Amino acid sequence: MAIHRNCQGTSRRDCLKLGLGALLGGGLVDALRLRSVAGESSGRSTSCIMVWLDGGPSHFETFDPKPDAPAEIRGEFQPIHTRIPGAYFSENMRRLAAISDKLTIVRSIRHDQNNHGAGNHYMTTGAPTRIPVSCGAFVSFHPSMGSVVSAERGAPNGLPAYFSIPSMARSGGPNFLGARHAPFVVSDDPNQPSFRVRDVAIPRELEDGRALSRRDLRSRLDQMARYRDRAAGDPVLGVDENYQQAVSIMNSAAAQRAFDIGREPEHVRNAFGRTTFGQQALLARRLVEGGVPFITLYNGGWDHHSNIFPAFRQQGQRFEAVVATLIDDLDQRGMLDTTLVLVLGEFGRTPQISTLSDGGTPGRDHWSNAMSVLVAGCGTPRGQVVGATDRRGYAAVERIYAPENFVATVYTKLGINPDKILYAGNGRPTHLVSDPRPIAELM
Amino acid sequence: MKESVLLGVIAWSCALAPAHAGAPSPAIPRKPVTFEFDVQPILTRFGCNSGPCHGKSRGQNGFALSLLGFDADFDYSSLIHESRGRRVLPAAPEHSMLLSKPAGQMPHGGGKRFEVGSPPYEMLRAWIRAGAPRTPADAPRIVRVITEPAGRRLAAKQGFQLRVIAEYSDGSRRDVTEGSAFQSNDTTVAAVAGEGIVRSGGLPGEAAIMARYMNNIAVCTVTIPLPGDVPDEAYRKLPRQNDIDELVWKKLPLLGILPSPPANEATFHRRAYLKAIGRLPTPAETQAFLADRSPDKRARLIDRLLERPEYADFWANKWADLIRPNPYRVGIKAVWNLDAWLRDSFRKNKPYDQFARELVAAQGSTWRHGATVIFRDRPDAVEIGASVSQLFLGVRLECAKCHHHPFEVWSQDDFFGFAAFFARVGHKGGLSPPISGGEEIIFTMNAGQLQHGRTGAAVAPKTLAGKSLTLGPDDDPREVLADWMTDKANPYFAKVMANRVWSELMGQGLVEPVDDIRATNPPSNGPLLDALADDFRRQGYDIKKLVRKIMLSHVFALSSRPTERNVSDLKNFSRYYRQRMRAEVLLDAVNDVLGTEESFAAMPAGSRAAQMWTHRASSIFLDTFGRPDPNQDPPCERKTESTTPQVLHLMNSPALNRKLSQDTARPAQLAASKKTSDNIVEELYLLAYGRLPSSDERATALEHLSRATLVNRRRAVEDLFWAILNTPEFYIVD
Repeated sequence: MAIHRNCQGTSRRDCLKLGLGALLGGGLVDALRLRSVAGESSGRSTSCIMVWLDGGPSHFETFDPKPDAPAEIRGEFQPIHTRIPGAYFSENMRRLAAISDKLTIVRSIRHDQNNHGAGNHYMTTGAPTRIPVSCGAFVSFHPSMGSVVSAERGAPNGLPAYFSIPSMARSGGPNFLGARHAPFVVSDDPNQPSFRVRDVAIPRELEDGRALSRRDLRSRLDQMARYRDRAAGDPVLGVDENYQQAVSIMNSAAAQRAFDIGREPEHVRNAFGRTTFGQQALLARRLVEGGVPFITLYNGGWDHHSNIFPAFRQQGQRFEAVVATLIDDLDQRGMLDTTLVLVLGEFGRTPQISTLSDGGTPGRDHWSNAMSVLVAGCGTPRGQVVGATDRRGYAAVERIYAPENFVATVYTKLGINPDKILYAGNGRPTHLVSDPRPIAELM
Repeated sequence: MKESVLLGVIAWSCALAPAHAGAPSPAIPRKPVTFEFDVQPILTRFGCNSGPCHGKSRGQNGFALSLLGFDADFDYSSLIHESRGRRVLPAAPEHSMLLSKPAGQMPHGGGKRFEVGSPPYEMLRAWIRAGAPRTPADAPRIVRVITEPAGRRLAAKQGFQLRVIAEYSDGSRRDVTEGSAFQSNDTTVAAVAGEGIVRSGGLPGEAAIMARYMNNIAVCTVTIPLPGDVPDEAYRKLPRQNDIDELVWKKLPLLGILPSPPANEATFHRRAYLKAIGRLPTPAETQAFLADRSPDKRARLIDRLLERPEYADFWANKWADLIRPNPYRVGIKAVWNLDAWLRDSFRKNKPYDQFARELVAAQGSTWRHGATVIFRDRPDAVEIGASVSQLFLGVRLECAKCHHHPFEVWSQDDFFGFAAFFARVGHKGGLSPPISGGEEIIFTMNAGQLQHGRTGAAVAPKTLAGKSLTLGPDDDPREVLADWMTDKANPYFAKVMANRVWSELMGQGLVEPVDDIRATNPPSNGPLLDALADDFRRQGYDIKKLVRKIMLSHVFALSSRPTERNVSDLKNFSRYYRQRMRAEVLLDAVNDVLGTEESFAAMPAGSRAAQMWTHRASSIFLDTFGRPDPNQDPPCERKTESTTPQVLHLMNSPALNRKLSQDTARPAQLAASKKTSDNIVEELYLLAYGRLPSSDERATALEHLSRATLVNRRRAVEDLFWAILNTPEFYIVD
C-alpha cells in the first residue's frame, strides 16, 4: 500500500474506481431497469473540464496578487496587467493574462475547511463533510460533480460519461449513486508514444486476429442458461448487456478516435506542450469532442508549504501555459461556448509567508478564507473579475460565495437542476446542493 | 379550555355566514377547525412540510416547517409570527400567503397545490378566519391509525380504495384517508395513488402499502397470487429438510407459487463452497463429491467447509465492510488490529452475543485490542450510537437525530437516549487521526452526559424499548446496553444477524435492506425470520450453526432456473437467486484457475484477496469489481451489480493477460504437460465451473485445441482459459 504522506496532496489511486453502488430499494430487477434508464442520454451538448490543482494553489501567486501589501505577504512576484481593466494577475500567469478577456476569475469563494480532506470534499461535491476529517483523509459523503453528471446526463456513443485523468480526486467518487458512475480513470501517460486507454482496447501483445478468435471461442463456449423473462431478474442478462456495450466501445470509432491522441496534428500536440499534463489536457479536449460531459484533470503538488516561489516559476508557468492553450484551442474550435473550464483547488494559501515546514524555505499554508477560481466558457462572461479579497488577501470581502454556489453554478451550466433531491441508499432524501443558488455573475 | 372550544364554534358559524356571495361551498367544515387536528395534516398531505420543500432544515424561500409536522409549536410559530404575519391574515383570509401561494394566486416555487374553493382551501380559510386557533391540549389524541382493509388479495390489474382510520383517546374514530400519505414498497406489484387507491400491476407477488397520517403509520399487505390453481397436494409433497423448508413452503400457496426443482449436484457443490468460504472447489474436491454416493454427503461437506480456515476470512470480510475504518482516520496499526480481531472472532466462532458485547463495551488500547478501534473511528456518542443501532439492531435511528423519523416511531428523544449510552466513553492519547496512528486508550469515565440536540437538556440513557435508566458511577452504560441488546427478550438483536446470514447465503435478505428492520418494511417471510432468530438464540448465538442450518435446507439447494409458477418471485426463495461473486472472491478465483498468485502492497507474498486488512491497498481489479470505496465511511453495503468496465477489465486488462500467459501459469504448464486435450478441457471445466463439460462443450473445446499445431498449442490453451474466464458461468454464483 502506498502510504499517503500528509500534506503532499497527491492521490495514489490511479485506477478505475468503482465504489459501492447502493441503489435505492435494491434488487436485480431495479438494477436492470435503472441501467436501461441511465443509458438514455438527455442529448445536451455541454461539457466540463475541471482542472483540479490538488493541495490548494496560492491565490497570491496566481490571480489575486497584493502588490500593496507588506513584503512578508506580497511575496517575490510582481503583478502584471491583464486584458480585464483594473485587474492584475501574478507575473507567472502571463499566458492566461493574455487571454484573460476569455475568462472570469472569482476571488470570493470561501469556506471554513482548512484541511485537504475536508476542503477537497467540499469543493468537489458541494457538501461539507458530515463529520470533521483531517488533512490526510480521503473521504466521500456525497457524490462528486462528475458522478452526478454521469448519472444525470448519461454516456454518449458508448463512452463513459465521467473521466478522471490521471487519477481520481480524493472525493471524486459516486458515493450512493453506484459504481457505474465512478470515473473512468485514464492513468497511462498520453505523452508516451505507446499511450493507450486501458481496457478499452485489446492488449498490445495480442494481434487482432487472436483477440477476435478468442471472442468467437467465448461465444461458442458461453452456454450458461439465460432466464429471458425480465421478471426473473437474471443478472446474466445484465452481463450480456455489459458485454455488448464493452464490445461496442472497443469497436466504436468515436470512442477509439477520442482516445487516439496520435490523430492530432503535430502542431496542435506541440502547442499543448509535449508534457504529460499538456497531452492530458489535449486528451480531455478530444473527449469533449467525443461527447463526454465531465472530465477531471487531476494535477497534484500544489501544497506549497515551502519553496513556493521557485515552484511557481517552474510548475506554475508550465501549468498556466497548458490551461491557456486549452482555453484558446476550445475557443478557436467554437467549443468554448459549450465547454466549461474550471481551474481550482481545495483552498487558497495564508497571506503571511511562513517557513514552518521542513527546509525552512518560504511557503504559504492552508487558507480557506480566500481563494481564486478560474471559470471560462459555457456562457460565462468573458473578461471579468467577480468579488474581491481585502488589501492583504486575508478574506473574501465582496460578493462572497460558498462552495455550494460554485457547484450549483456548474450543475446549472450543465443542464442539471442543483435543487434536485437525490435518494441515498437508505431512502433518505438528500439535496444535490443544499444552497442551489448559482453565482449570478457567471450565468 | 371550554372557552377556546366555544371560540371555535363562534368562528365556525362566522365562517358559515358571509363571504360567499354565490353558492355555499360544499366543503365548509362541520367542526371548529384547529391547527394540530386539521391544518397540520393538510400541510403534510400536500407535501408542504416534506424534505424537498419547507420541511428541509433551512426551509424554502424563508419559510420553514418541521419535517412532516413533528414539531407543532415550531410550525405554528412559523406560520403566525414570521414573515411579518403575512402568511396568516385573519382579517382577510383570502390574502393570507398560506392560501394564495398554494392556490396559485401568488407565485409559488412549489407550484399550485390545490384550487380555490377546494376542500383543503376551505379548511385553511375557515381556520384563518377563526383566528388560527391551536388544538386544545386536552383534545382527544390519536391512539393509533389503522388501514381498512388490513390486508387484501387482488388479481392482476385490479384496484381498491384503501381507507385510513384514526382512533382517538376518547374512543372516537375518524376517516383520515384524505390527509394521509401513501407509499408502496414494491410498485411493480401494487402501486398506490395519492388518495389511497391501490392498483395491482401485472406481476404476482406481495406489496406492503404504508399509510402515514401525521406521525402515525399503518401497513396494509396486498397479495397478488399467480392465477391458476395449485392443488394442496403439490405443496404437501415438497421435501422438508428442516423447519426452514416448512416455513418457506407455507408462504408459497398464498402467492400460488411453486418452487423450482433442486439444483444438480455440481451446482450445489460449487454454490456451497462460494457461499460458505468464498472460494472455488478444486477439481479433486468436485470429483470426490460427485462420486460420493452416501446419503449424508451434503451434511458432511458443509461440516468440512465450516472448519476450513477460509471460513473465517470470508465472514470476517463482511464485518470488515461494516466497521473497519479508513486508516487515514484512525491510523494503520489500529485498523490492522481491528481487522485481526475480526478474523480471530470468526476463526474461534465466537458466540455472536459475545462478539457484540466485546465491540460495544470495548475498553483498552487501540494498539492492543482491536475492538476499541470503532470508538477511535467514531469518538462522538451520537455517531457511534447511530452506528450501533443500525449494525446490531437494524434500527436506523440516524434520521431521528435531526427530526422525527419519517417512516417510524423513533423520535429525537429516542435517538439521544440511545446515544447517551456512549456519553461516558473516555479517550486518552492518540493524536488526532490521521496525523499519526498514535495509541489511544478507550475507557469508561465516571461521569459524562449527552445533551439533547434540540432542547440542550441532559439525556439519560434509554433503550429502544423506551426505558430511561438511572445509572450510578459504577455502572458502565455500555455494559448495560450490551445486557439489553443480547438479552433473550430483545426483539431486534438475533433477527438482524439471522437476516444478514440468510442474505449472504441466499443472495437476498428476508428484509431488505438487511439492516432496516421496521414495521413499515416487513420481512418477506416473517415467521421464517422469527424462527431463524429464535433458533440462533437457542443455539447460544452460534453463527456456524446458523450457517449450517440454512445450508442444509432444501431451499438452499434449489435450482436458480425459474418455472412458470415462480418466474417473477424475487423474494420468497422459491428458487435460488443468482449473484455475481464479490470482488475478492472473484480475484482469488481467477488466480486459483490460473494457478497464479497476486501480489498486494502491504500484504505478505502469497496472500489472497480475502485476507486483505484494508481496502486502501491498490488493486485495479478489486476497485473495478466494486469493493467499497476506501474513501467512504463504513458501513459499506455492497451491490454486486455488473458493469461494463468489469467486462472490459476481464477481457482486456494487460495485467490479467500477462498473468494468463506466464510461463508458470496453469495454461502454459498444461500445454507443456503430457496431458491429453481431453484432460485439459476437463480440468479447466472442473476448475472454473466446478463441473464436467457437456459433450457439446467438450467437442467445441477439443475442436479448438485440435486446430493448434504443436508450436502454438500453448496459445490455444491460453485462449481457451481466456474464453472460459470471460463467461458469466465463471463469475456468477448459480
